[in-house]
Amino acid sequence: MTRPETRFEANTLATSDAITDLTDQIMAFLSDHGVEDRATHHTALVLNEVLTNLGTHGGCRDRAAKIAVVVEPDKVTGEIVDAGPPFDPWSAPDPAFEVAPSERPVGGLGLYLVKKFSSALEYTRRNDQNYTSFAISRRQSAE
Amino acid sequence: MEIHDERIGDTWIVTAKGRLDGNASAGFADHVGRLIENANPKLLIDFTGVDFVSSAGVWAVLVLSKKIKSAGGSLALCSVRDSVREVLDVSDFTSILSIHPARAEAMAAMGK
Repeated sequence: MTRPETRFEANTLATSDAITDLTDQIMAFLSDHGVEDRATHHTALVLNEVLTNLGTHGGCRDRAAKIAVVVEPDKVTGEIVDAGPPFDPWSAPDPAFEVAPSERPVGGLGLYLVKKFSSALEYTRRNDQNYTSFAISRRQSAE
Repeated sequence: MEIHDERIGDTWIVTAKGRLDGNASAGFADHVGRLIENANPKLLIDFTGVDFVSSAGVWAVLVLSKKIKSAGGSLALCSVRDSVREVLDVSDFTSILSIHPARAEAMAAMGK
């Protein structure tokens, strides 16, 4: 079966080097397909942050996650399938915004960015795997 | 990530190129941190070539900002791409960062 040209697929370990390689690949793919800088950046960011969280907190650096990204006319959609412990990104606490920026403790920013930049972020658990899907609008900031 | 630094007067100018992600942020913070160990350091980071910043990169910039502030110095950023600027905005750190369109404006704001 021939893959549509606008679909990117990869298997990626949740290690720093592998995540950096994926970031390079996905940004090149989206740029080559004419996706705007904002959507290119934020798609790569969502993948980077979800995988970083998986490697850091999910204890799942040694089993590859499956990545799929599709370019559509008005958005870029993506899906990450991993075999880590159950984790819904919506359950992650936001950063402590009540604390002044200069004093704010580290933590929670990556998944907060995922939630803010995704126009659709959905999570399901099936067959002992996490399915995290998202969409990034190709319009300018939705905020 | 490539990092180039030069000193003009009492200001260190760091030009970064590439992606400021979890793989690069610690090295970036260490490299730049060594430039600002004196009292009242002045640092300008030129983001012209930075096309990606993750939360780890945001924290690296914040660590440098705190270090400079505690030493009585000043930090400015310039030429930040819109997508990267949006990350800084959403992270709620732009209120404590001095961000300028280009190097000249940043240098002027730092009192050059």
